Amino acid sequence: MRLVSLLLLITFSSLGYAAGGAECGDYGDCDEFDARLLDNSSLQRGLNTFINNCYGCHSLQYSRWGRVAKDLDIPESILFEKLVFDPNAKSGDLMKGSLDKKASEEWFGVAPPDLTLVARSRGSNWIYTYLRTYYEDGSKQYGVNNLVYPNTAMPNVLEYYQGKQILGCKQVPSYASNGGVRRDADRNIITEEECGHLLLAEGSGKYTAAEFDTIIFDLTNFLTYVAEPVRADRERIGWFVILFFVVFTALSYLLFREYQKDYH
Amino acid sequence: MSSMFLKVFDWVNHRLPIVNTFERHLSKHPVPKKVNFWYLFGALASVVLIIQIVSGIWLMMPYENTEEGAFASVEFIMRDVDYGWVIRYMHTTGASMFFAVVYLHMFRGLLYGSYQRPRELVWIFGMTIYLVMMAEGFLGYVLPYGQMSYWGAQVIISLFGAIPYIGESLEVWVRGDYYISGATISRFFALHVVALPLILIALVFMHLVALHEVGAGNPEGIDIEKHVDEDGVPLDSVPFFPYKVLNALVGIGVFMIVFSIIMFFFPEMGGYFLEKANFEEANPLSTPEHIAPVWYYSPYYAMLRAVPDKLGGLIVMAGAIAILFVVPWLDRSKVASIRYKGIFSKIALVLFATSFITLGYLGTVPVTESRKLMSVIGTVIYFGFFFLMPFYTSLEKTSVPPERL
Repeated sequence: MRLVSLLLLITFSSLGYAAGGAECGDYGDCDEFDARLLDNSSLQRGLNTFINNCYGCHSLQYSRWGRVAKDLDIPESILFEKLVFDPNAKSGDLMKGSLDKKASEEWFGVAPPDLTLVARSRGSNWIYTYLRTYYEDGSKQYGVNNLVYPNTAMPNVLEYYQGKQILGCKQVPSYASNGGVRRDADRNIITEEECGHLLLAEGSGKYTAAEFDTIIFDLTNFLTYVAEPVRADRERIGWFVILFFVVFTALSYLLFREYQKDYH
Repeated sequence: MSSMFLKVFDWVNHRLPIVNTFERHLSKHPVPKKVNFWYLFGALASVVLIIQIVSGIWLMMPYENTEEGAFASVEFIMRDVDYGWVIRYMHTTGASMFFAVVYLHMFRGLLYGSYQRPRELVWIFGMTIYLVMMAEGFLGYVLPYGQMSYWGAQVIISLFGAIPYIGESLEVWVRGDYYISGATISRFFALHVVALPLILIALVFMHLVALHEVGAGNPEGIDIEKHVDEDGVPLDSVPFFPYKVLNALVGIGVFMIVFSIIMFFFPEMGGYFLEKANFEEANPLSTPEHIAPVWYYSPYYAMLRAVPDKLGGLIVMAGAIAILFVVPWLDRSKVASIRYKGIFSKIALVLFATSFITLGYLGTVPVTESRKLMSVIGTVIYFGFFFLMPFYTSLEKTSVPPERL
């Protein structure tokens, strides 16, 4: 038994030091995103943002219009009237987008990727951070660059929502070698200038920083949904399956104990 | 009605040994009455095998084994097939859980000397099952045709190319093409769903037949057939059915709870069961930043990377698996169970398990200088465990196991 516990200890401690390296490029660790897959209004707003700003270039080729309508509780008539711009599209059609892959590759250098599964391949945290870390950079083709994905080929499509963001310097608390915040004789925090921070030009966009964060939250929420539309269902059903096996285990244990009396 | 049933039953039984087989392998098959949880993993492995076969059959129906259609058909299963996601997650979780229980089952063998005389063949059949499972897992991993399917296959198939003289043509032969393509997918599909499962089932059958011939072991590592009653039934045994079946049922229940928690709440298992990069369709023009095999191969992958030369790495990797086959002849101990072996065996086993797990971790992360050094040390310990086994098992002082369970 001692051997077993030692082995378990080793197993778990080795799982502890998971993969290193910053997940979100120059930004460091990604901002935390907690999906709210049961929040239909958030998902609907996310869909709306996606169709109006992203769907021109990015398809959702494994997802179908009707499924999205059903899952997000949008009457199909409204979906088709407001968000489906292709008059020939049917409920069962895949959301293949309208951009020709070959042509777009010539225009942009790379074809804009399909985004159905991006929340699973990149992670929701990554998307949530990526879309909020664009900054002005005159040396780039579209005048912007990104902290999470340096030299990204995508322009900052949502700039008119967010406004202009620059990479600048600001005063931050300075830390002593023991990790504590340094203070002067009057107990005021001593600051120092640190560069590489994202600074937003207030009022340059349509929305405030907080409103913009909500827009990106909803968009990320939608992309999380569309990457795995069954997720909410799967977690709901999972409880019943587990409950079934708990009862199964309990009953088989009682039976086992009864039979064990024969030879104990 | 019941006499009618009995008549039919009798008729069949005279032509097919139903009662006889039931008694021989179940209701009168003696198994040690006192074993611990380590003895459950064999039963669990057969449960997972059944899960894999059943879910595999259903996955096969909508899956498309072409270069253009494979990835999309998996998403079709996840979205458009009714409860297709249940079937698929069952299969992906099952694949990892299969290896998890088999690793624990194998470790049980090392712990209690299950491979020792007269169970050498049981061990060898088991090791062959493990080998076929590794091939089966690899082939299956390529089928969804994501980035990691493609690049993982690229790495593994290129290993054949390291073999002198025949390497390059062997690579082409395995792929069925000059690069990984639709031809590779369809042949991997045939092997994954027909050829290897047939071999696997045959091997499991042999594993069990051989086991029933020599009888199951126990944690004390003693022979229960030394003390028998007047009918020749071991005194420390109970019939497999119903006693051990009920025992196994409890274990299966607990296992299925764990299985369901993973399957319904953490199907990706933090990228260990379903790797992130595999949610991107295979793209021969873009190599992923970091190619890592699924966790159950990663110890061997770490060994492969620990050796600078490709052929050398291949030999080390193959040797690491091959050496497991001869364990019954490396262990020279008078006792079977770790409980009565000496201190050297205990230290060796802990070091071995630690090195295997550490190598497993190292195989999933990018290489750095220090990690490479750790891989080399891990590999040396891994082989040291086996190469030194004849010495430490015969030289150390063992204690005397009890006569009875």
